[in-house]
Amino acid sequence: MNSGQLFLILGSLAAATASFVWMALRTTVTPVKEADILQDSEHDVEHIFNNEFRELLRNRGRLLFEKIISENAMFLQQDLRLTTSQLNEYMKDEITKKLQEEFIKYEQSIADAKNLAVDSITKTQKIMEEQRQQMSQQLTEEITKEKARLMTNFEENMADIVNHYVLAAVGDQIDLNDQLEYILSDLETNKQAIIKDITDGA
Amino acid sequence: MAPKDKKMVLPLSVMGKQDVGRLLREVETLNEFLRQSAIRQSDNTVKMPRTSRFMDEIVQINELNPLVEADRKSLVDFLSTVKTKAPVLHMSFNADPSPLFTQKLMTWLRKEIHPQVLLQTGLQPNIGAGCVVRTDSKYFDFSMRHHFTEKRSVLIQKIKGEK
Repeated sequence: MNSGQLFLILGSLAAATASFVWMALRTTVTPVKEADILQDSEHDVEHIFNNEFRELLRNRGRLLFEKIISENAMFLQQDLRLTTSQLNEYMKDEITKKLQEEFIKYEQSIADAKNLAVDSITKTQKIMEEQRQQMSQQLTEEITKEKARLMTNFEENMADIVNHYVLAAVGDQIDLNDQLEYILSDLETNKQAIIKDITDGA
Repeated sequence: MAPKDKKMVLPLSVMGKQDVGRLLREVETLNEFLRQSAIRQSDNTVKMPRTSRFMDEIVQINELNPLVEADRKSLVDFLSTVKTKAPVLHMSFNADPSPLFTQKLMTWLRKEIHPQVLLQTGLQPNIGAGCVVRTDSKYFDFSMRHHFTEKRSVLIQKIKGEK
């Protein structure tokens, strides 16, 4: 490498260094200028958006906001009415449907209970009728037996009464001497038995 | 003195055991009296005791001499035998039987049933008529009450109106 080239290289290095230095210096000076710019901008903004313009914008915004609110309120009211109406209709339909279903179930339950009660009453009546017939039959049999028993007792008692009456009425009227033939006849009939008993006993 | 081969009989008036017992006591009393008289001997004025109707009848029927000891002994033996072994019939009537009735009855009984049969009568007014005979082991009801009881079915048929 020759001296020229070296010189050139060195010169380049120096130039670069100088550039850096200059750039460093320049950067140090810029914030001051931006602050000014901001200040100027604010000043311009204050100048453009002054109070009158702001009031105008505020009024317009208010009007627009009111308009939007009003429209939204109207829409909301319509939606609300519609929703209420639909809700009422839905509720009405649902309640009617539920009530009809419940009424059907209720009627079915009543019909079932009625059928059950009718069946139970029919069975009870049938059982009662059978029991009544059995009791009637038993009562008839008992009455018949009791009647027969009373008749038998009456006849036997009547026979006893007649016998007692005849014995009492006739017994005293028959003289013992008149009975002798009858008594001897009975003794004669049973003579052998008496003799046998006496002989065996002796 | 009574013939030895003749069997002694009871008079119809002697019906029951009490009569036989009374007769037996009377014969024994007579025996005792005659025995005491034989011991005394000296006293000839002793009067014979008065005998009962039963005694008179049985002595008469059996041709006995009460003064003969053998007759008295045979009578005592006979009465003792009758008292202990004679069959007894109990007969009940609806009224007290008259002596004539009992005599006829005893005649038949002694003739047909047993020559030494004794009879004890009773009273059952509720039998109506007829009699009830009871021996030692049997009972014979010949009463009207029994007859009615046997014919009760006929009476019941009549009460019912059946033919």
